[in-house]
Amino acid sequence: MRTAIRAFGFAALLSALVGPGLAAADQPIFDVTVLAAACANCHGTDGRSPGSIPSIAGRPEAILKQQLQAFKSDTPPAGTTVMDRLTKGLSDQQIGALALHFSQISKTPSAQEVAKQ
Amino acid sequence: MSQSRNFSRRQWLMTVGKATAAGAALALAPAYARGAAGKVVVIGGGFGGATAAKYVKRRNPAIDVTLIEPAKTYYTCPFTNLYFGGLRTFEQQGHGFDELRSMGVKIVHDFASGIDAGSKTVTLAGGDTLSYDRLLLSPGIDFRWNALEGYDEAASQLAPHAWKAGDQSVLLKKQLDAMRDGGSFVMVAPANPFRCPPGPYERVSMVAHYLKHNKPKSKILILDAKDAFSKQGLFQAGWDRFYGDLIEWVPMSKDGKVVRVDAANLSVETEFGEIHKADVLNVIPPQKAGAIAEIAGVTNESGWVPVKPLTFESELVSDIYVVGDATIASPMPKSGFSANAQAKVAAAAIVSSLAGQPPAIATFANTCYSLIAPDYGISVASTYQIEDGKIVEASGGVSPADADDTFRKLEAEYGVSWYQAIALDSWGTRA
Repeated sequence: MRTAIRAFGFAALLSALVGPGLAAADQPIFDVTVLAAACANCHGTDGRSPGSIPSIAGRPEAILKQQLQAFKSDTPPAGTTVMDRLTKGLSDQQIGALALHFSQISKTPSAQEVAKQ
Repeated sequence: MSQSRNFSRRQWLMTVGKATAAGAALALAPAYARGAAGKVVVIGGGFGGATAAKYVKRRNPAIDVTLIEPAKTYYTCPFTNLYFGGLRTFEQQGHGFDELRSMGVKIVHDFASGIDAGSKTVTLAGGDTLSYDRLLLSPGIDFRWNALEGYDEAASQLAPHAWKAGDQSVLLKKQLDAMRDGGSFVMVAPANPFRCPPGPYERVSMVAHYLKHNKPKSKILILDAKDAFSKQGLFQAGWDRFYGDLIEWVPMSKDGKVVRVDAANLSVETEFGEIHKADVLNVIPPQKAGAIAEIAGVTNESGWVPVKPLTFESELVSDIYVVGDATIASPMPKSGFSANAQAKVAAAAIVSSLAGQPPAIATFANTCYSLIAPDYGISVASTYQIEDGKIVEASGGVSPADADDTFRKLEAEYGVSWYQAIALDSWGTRA
C-alpha cells in the first residue's frame, strides 16, 4: 500500500512461489498494514491525525520506536494516558515493524492521493 | 446448510485440478477466477460497514465494492450522549458517504431484505438482486421487543431507548428539554451483553450535567439489571464529585432489575414489585444482532453471530463475514471502535481470500472514552490478539483511579480527537 512495505511471512512467500492454495494456504502471515490499521482509529487514517492526538505519519523511525518502547516500559513518559495500556502487549518485533511502517508514510497525502479523494 | 455454502476455495482448487475439460473448470469458477478481481457486497453503513468498504477498496481498487445502507446520512451513537448534555448538536454525529463514493464504492441507499447464501445473492427491499463473491454484514443491533414486558416499538415512542441514533435521540432530548425542574429521569439499564457497555453511564453523566445547570432540583435514577458495569469505579467517583446525590444507581441485587414497563404512565416495576414513576423514561432494552444476520443464517441460539476470530468470517456460513456489535467477539466490547478494528481485519481477509492468499495475523485494539463532565474524561483501552483460536486481551486497562485533573482533561480532549479520527477513518468525514 502506497510507500509502505508489506512484510510477507514465509507462508506467503511459499504460496507466491508455488501458487495459491497448494501449500500452507491457511497459515496466517504477518502484514504490518493490518497491525497498523488499529492505530488509525485514534491517530487518523495512515497515521495522519485530524485532531489533538499526535500524528505519527512520516516521523523518524528511530523516534517512533523509542517512543513506543518508552510507553511500553514500566516508567512511561509524563503525560501518558492510554498508550502504556496499548503498548504493553506489543512485541519488540511489532514495535519495530510499526515504527518502520509509519516512518515511510508521508506526513501529508500526495497529490495523487488527494486527487483520488 | 447447502453443499455450495461449504464448498471451500481449497475444494474448488482440487476440483479444478482434477477436471479434465477446461470448460468444466470454468463453469465452476467463481467470478474472481474468471479474470475479475471479485465482487464484495457490504450491508450496513455504520462504523463496521463503512470501514470495511473503504479498506477493501484501499487494498485492491480492482475489487467491485457495493455498500448497502438505507440512510443517506448515518448518525453514530458515540458522541450522541454529548448532545443530551448540551455540548454538541445532533447533526454533528451525522456522516455521509461521499468519500466512499469518490473511491469507487457503489453506494446503494436501500434496505437489504434477503440473503441466499447458496446462490450468493442479496435481495433489496426495492426489488433489486445483487450477487457477491464475499459478503460482509455490519448489521448492528436490533431490539428484543417485549423481552422486557410492555416494552415494544410503540412503547419506545413514549419511553425512548435512544440506543440507535436518529429520531429516538431527538425525541429523548426533546423530553429532557421539556422536563420540569424537580423531575425524575429514570434509566432502565440492560443486562450483558449489549451495545456500548459504558454508554448508559456516560449518558447519565451527560444528562446530569444538563440537569445540574438547567434543572438542579431534578433527580436521576438508574435501575440496572446487573451488579457491575464498565469503568464503574471511575464513573461513581466522577458522579460523587460533580453531581453528588443527583444520581442514584440501583444494582440488580438491590432490586434494580425492571421486569415490566408501563410506557403510557411512564412507570416501571422491578423484580420485587416496586413501582418507579418517571418524568422522562429512558429504557435500554435487551438486544440481539441486527435482523439481516438472522436472515443470513449466521446467528446462533444466543441471537448473536459466532465468527472465526482470524478473519471474522461467519462460523456457520462460508463467504459471509460479520463485524461489529452483532458478533460474539468477547473480550472485545460492542463498540464503534471494535467494529472499525474488526472491519479492517475482515477487509484484509476478504482481499487475501479473493487473491487466493492466506489471511494476515489478526490484531485488534479498542479504546472507549467516556465523558463525565466537559473537562473530565475517562477511558478503557485494550489490545487483542488470537491465542488457540480465541480472541484474548494482550494488554489493557482503565484510566488510573488517582489521576489528576490534567489527566482527566487530556482524556476529555483525546475523546474528541478520537471521534474526529475514527469518523475520518470510517467515512472520510470531518467531525
